[in-house]
Amino acid sequence: MNLGALAVAALPAFIASAVEFVEATTIVLAVGVTRGWRAPLYGTIAATITLAIIIATLGVTIVTVVPEHALKAFVGALLLLFGLRWLRKAILRFAGIVALHDEERVYLKEVAELRARGETRTGFDRVGFIVAYKAVLLEGTEVAFIVIAFGAGGAAALNAAVVGAIAAGLFVIALGAALRTPLTMVPENWMKFGVGAILSAFGVFWFAEGLGAAWPGDALSILVILAIFLGASRLAVRMLRSIVPDGAEVAARSV
Amino acid sequence: MSSGTLRGIWDAVWGLLVEDGSLAVGIIAALAVTWLAAVVLADPQRDQVGWLLLAILIVLVVLNVRAAGHSARRAIAKG
Repeated sequence: MNLGALAVAALPAFIASAVEFVEATTIVLAVGVTRGWRAPLYGTIAATITLAIIIATLGVTIVTVVPEHALKAFVGALLLLFGLRWLRKAILRFAGIVALHDEERVYLKEVAELRARGETRTGFDRVGFIVAYKAVLLEGTEVAFIVIAFGAGGAAALNAAVVGAIAAGLFVIALGAALRTPLTMVPENWMKFGVGAILSAFGVFWFAEGLGAAWPGDALSILVILAIFLGASRLAVRMLRSIVPDGAEVAARSV
Repeated sequence: MSSGTLRGIWDAVWGLLVEDGSLAVGIIAALAVTWLAAVVLADPQRDQVGWLLLAILIVLVVLNVRAAGHSARRAIAKG
């Protein structure tokens, strides 16, 4: 694969992973600005190592032990559990029932919580380490799902997805380090809506393939599935706006 | 690392897949129905199980968010 083709193939994973890296960067930034940089940097490194170990052990075991069809069905099921959860939340956000994701708000809330816990004048800052570790591990796990979704088609697709995710990580970290403020300019809510639909579409495609079904036009049918998910989501948003006309902004976990 | 921290990490990772319990259960049921259809159906019909899964999931998500909408409306009415 030449560099241009690789860049095109890596673009979906780049966009999807960038959303996750932005969220992790916001938390690490909040910890660093509030409590100093040493602990959150160690937390980030520790989470990256943990994630690499989990992916290497679980990933290699699954790929080498599980037969191809069963693997596709397994990956499809995971993608559906993950993607539909994201799509549901995006629909509720765009209908005004759940507050839109706001990096500035997340950042200020995190800073306030960290300040409330008090500063560590001496010794190692465990709070800063753990908060950064959890954030990077959680968002990193989501990136792993994204890489699996886009890379399940074979070695070339997996390489492109990995390149896209790494490029997104480097880009967002560089941007965060340069600006030292939450990356509010990234249109996260739209990206999450799209990524939720994309992951769900890949999930349906892989699960059915895992059961031995053939799709008309093979991978091209993913575009049709995606269009159906997006169309249904749009209709669902309109339906919700008629149920709750002025929106509600009820906390996500209570609905 | 304390057990509370490990519990927090586990809850966060679990929440990645199962934020809304009814949706997660519904997805698993949809996957089971699709698997059964693929086992029962013969070859030309088996290729349609993907569309069946898609249809079930669309209905599931729409019903789920509709329930969330009604729940939000009740919460507003209560004040």
